[in-house]
Amino acid sequence: MSDGRLRGIVARLRLFGRHLRGVATRTARIARWEVSRSVGTVDRKTALVLVVMALAISTTGFTAAGDGLGLEREIYVVGVDEDSRYHDVAVDSEQFRPVSLSEIEAESGGDANADSVTIRGDASVDVVVTRDGRIGHTGDNGEAAYDTFRGAVEEYNAKLMDAEDDQSAAYPVLVSLEYQQRDLAGSSESGANDGGETDGSETGTEDGTGGGGDGAGGGADRSGGDEPATGGGTDGTGGGDGPLQVPNVGDGSTASTAPGTPGSIAPPFPFQSLVLAFLFVVPMNFVIQAYGSTIMDERVKRRGELLLVSPVSRYEIVAGKTLPYLLGLIGIVVAITIAIRGGPIAVAAALPIALLFLAATFAGAMLARSFKELTFVTVTISVVLTTYTFIPAIFTDVHSIALISPLTLVVTDLQDGSIRLGEYLFSTGPFYLCAAVLFLLGIGVYREEDMFAQKPIPTKVVDAIASRIRGRRSVFVLSILFIPFVFAGQLLAVALLFALPESFAVPVIIVVAAALEEVAKSVHVYAGFARSRFDATLRTAAVLGALSGTGFFVGEKVTHVVQFVGLPDLSVGAAAFGPAVSSDPLILVAVFLAPLALHVATAVCSAVGASRGRTGYAAGFLAATLVHAAYNLGVILLVA
Amino acid sequence: MAILEVHDLRKEYGGFTAVEGSSFEIERGEVFGVVGPNGAGKTTTLKMLAGLIEPTGGTAVVAGHTPGEPAMQRRLGFLPEESPLYEEMTAIDYLEFFADLYDVPADVARERIHDSLERLDLEHRDRRIGNMSKGMQRKVAIARALVNDPDVLIFDEPASGLDPLTTNYIIEFTRELSEDGKTIVFSAHNLFHVESICDRIVIMNDGRIVARGTLEEIRDAHGGTEYHVYATDDGSAGLDGTAGPLEVTRENGQVRHVVADMAAVDAVRDAVEAAGGRVTDIQTETPSLEEIFLEVASEPAEESEA
Repeated sequence: MSDGRLRGIVARLRLFGRHLRGVATRTARIARWEVSRSVGTVDRKTALVLVVMALAISTTGFTAAGDGLGLEREIYVVGVDEDSRYHDVAVDSEQFRPVSLSEIEAESGGDANADSVTIRGDASVDVVVTRDGRIGHTGDNGEAAYDTFRGAVEEYNAKLMDAEDDQSAAYPVLVSLEYQQRDLAGSSESGANDGGETDGSETGTEDGTGGGGDGAGGGADRSGGDEPATGGGTDGTGGGDGPLQVPNVGDGSTASTAPGTPGSIAPPFPFQSLVLAFLFVVPMNFVIQAYGSTIMDERVKRRGELLLVSPVSRYEIVAGKTLPYLLGLIGIVVAITIAIRGGPIAVAAALPIALLFLAATFAGAMLARSFKELTFVTVTISVVLTTYTFIPAIFTDVHSIALISPLTLVVTDLQDGSIRLGEYLFSTGPFYLCAAVLFLLGIGVYREEDMFAQKPIPTKVVDAIASRIRGRRSVFVLSILFIPFVFAGQLLAVALLFALPESFAVPVIIVVAAALEEVAKSVHVYAGFARSRFDATLRTAAVLGALSGTGFFVGEKVTHVVQFVGLPDLSVGAAAFGPAVSSDPLILVAVFLAPLALHVATAVCSAVGASRGRTGYAAGFLAATLVHAAYNLGVILLVA
Repeated sequence: MAILEVHDLRKEYGGFTAVEGSSFEIERGEVFGVVGPNGAGKTTTLKMLAGLIEPTGGTAVVAGHTPGEPAMQRRLGFLPEESPLYEEMTAIDYLEFFADLYDVPADVARERIHDSLERLDLEHRDRRIGNMSKGMQRKVAIARALVNDPDVLIFDEPASGLDPLTTNYIIEFTRELSEDGKTIVFSAHNLFHVESICDRIVIMNDGRIVARGTLEEIRDAHGGTEYHVYATDDGSAGLDGTAGPLEVTRENGQVRHVVADMAAVDAVRDAVEAAGGRVTDIQTETPSLEEIFLEVASEPAEESEA
């Protein structure tokens, strides 16, 4: 490389560096101003109320996550003497309040019986432990209290065993548990047997308790476990007042229900981690209200006009106005992460959620005509994004569908699980990409001609998209850029529908998935025609449709990352994303080319309709969606 | 030398043409008026010059740059019709923020802001803008347009909705700015103000420039000065058409002959005296810009050369 060329490169790099520095400086100025200006809009009383609310919410959240809601605290009363070995159990359990037998026992006139207790009429008690260690129950809540007390005894014993120095003595039989992914296809047929065969009956014969199973077997688990083993649990229910017929529970020992056995282990539902993860989403809902308002202020009062006429680009203005809220959210996320002892993964997973919250709010605030509409927009954003992030995360450790949501990564991180880069990209990629596209669309209408105009939201959406059209090549690029929305929409549909019966969910998702893709392939073409970016001729429509379909095809290939996380194994997943690819070369070629033909054909159909106006577009879109849905159905049937 | 050049500037919104083929040049230090009825395309034209609205066609060059370029924005001061201020800020904070945006060094900005506010006679500078009167807010807006010491100022209705006292103050201040060498593009509905401070004017109607030039040039093009010749009404005034009067009316026992030039005045006098009458008075009537404006605005939008 010659010296002259090198110097040229260095000069260009310096120029670029100066440009970047300038951008950063101007953005920082606007960000600082946004902070100082916003502080001026909040009076002390409001600030105090906000702080109190934040404290209340965080305290409630952490408490609920750490200790539960406390709704079951001391809901049962157990009559037990202090010298009974069950007294410590009652004290240890939050759900029981121990009272001595003398407090509840009717006057007998002589020595108390060791194996029975006569309850006073006005005594409030649910479970009674006799002086010789037998356990019985009374009253309406007695049966439930009895079951709970047995559980408390097991937990207490488990603690004692765990505290033993000699673990071999404590657990002479070691059982290794390995959770397998549930086979949904077979669950409906074999569900009743699963619990009993795998957990319930095996452990039941061994330790006499059976167990709750892993939940897969549903009700069958219970029938295979507790009732026969505990024996007499419901025998001789006293009910009401008078002498209590205490059932025979052997020696009262719970040794037969060995702690730590599969039966005593709960299904892997990460309630605590899930609630903690959800804490990340809560403040985002508050921050977007303030963020949406500041954007709306610029529009409604035309204040943004003077920033637009200054030597600052609209990108810098938006970045500057967004930065404080983004940094605020990051600060909150980091603080919560530290508080709940999460790691960097939790922050990295929550960041794209925060970005998408802000991006969606920004785009919404740019489209809304009034603060009233903005409220509707932000509430919609809150509901949709909270649903998107929370519902899939419920299935953490249960099903790969949970990876749709970045909150799942947070939950996994809190459980000290490992997360692969591919999983991180799968969960967060749509969030980052959707956020980027929403910001770009919003900035597209962040100009005098659009941001102060009072147009209906659909018209503004068309304006925003049309603002990004610079010739036919834009159609190809926009089809690719819309892929994340399609992907996110389809993932959300899968998450919402996969728990429903397949006979309903699969047809619905086939149509929804097709419609989403057809929107992504056609809405910008329609915007181009509607805003006179293109000549409304059949030839132009055909060319634009072909470009859009091809662009979408290229973008869609990227989404094949879903193959690596196993969603196509799921029936509704296959309906949305297509079945897993065969290894046959011919099929591979067909699978590769057929979608291209489909996308081009349906995109041309919509484009031709779009060139004929709104009604034409609706008709073309409907036809394209039906063809697409029929194609999807055909592929599924063919491969199946 | 023209500091602002506009050639065939157009703006269309869908099928509606807001500005159609505007062309004009503004010299450095000139006060250039843009007038016209509501919807004539004045504000759209000014916003295209300010870089706020992208033209559909044509070109504009302001201080050697295309509107919208940062280098051009640094040399421009824009005062829109409304004063969209940040009401939660104090005047000083607000002005310093904008000075910062224009890369004005802090010490220079402080001095410049102080100077502007002194000249504008703005008190209570540390008061929140939201607590200021409308006139004070307008003064803050004008001070903001000056924080970058611009070469070109675009004032769109600077005195709109203000009391007469503040209005006069702002008009006088605009005149001072002109004397300081600023080039000012000035739009106002109050044509008296335009007449009093503008060196040249364009009149717009239906998106097109329908008249342009100095006030005298526009007057000449639209009737110019009229001469009213008053003569005795003694039966000798039946002169309609004989001496080319524009209009002949009888009022208060006299006959008024309206003519366009001095030659016609002489012809009327001669004709009156030949008929035995006598000319009692001759008055000069100059049409105001408002009268010209009303005449132009009522006509189809076709430009008449000044």
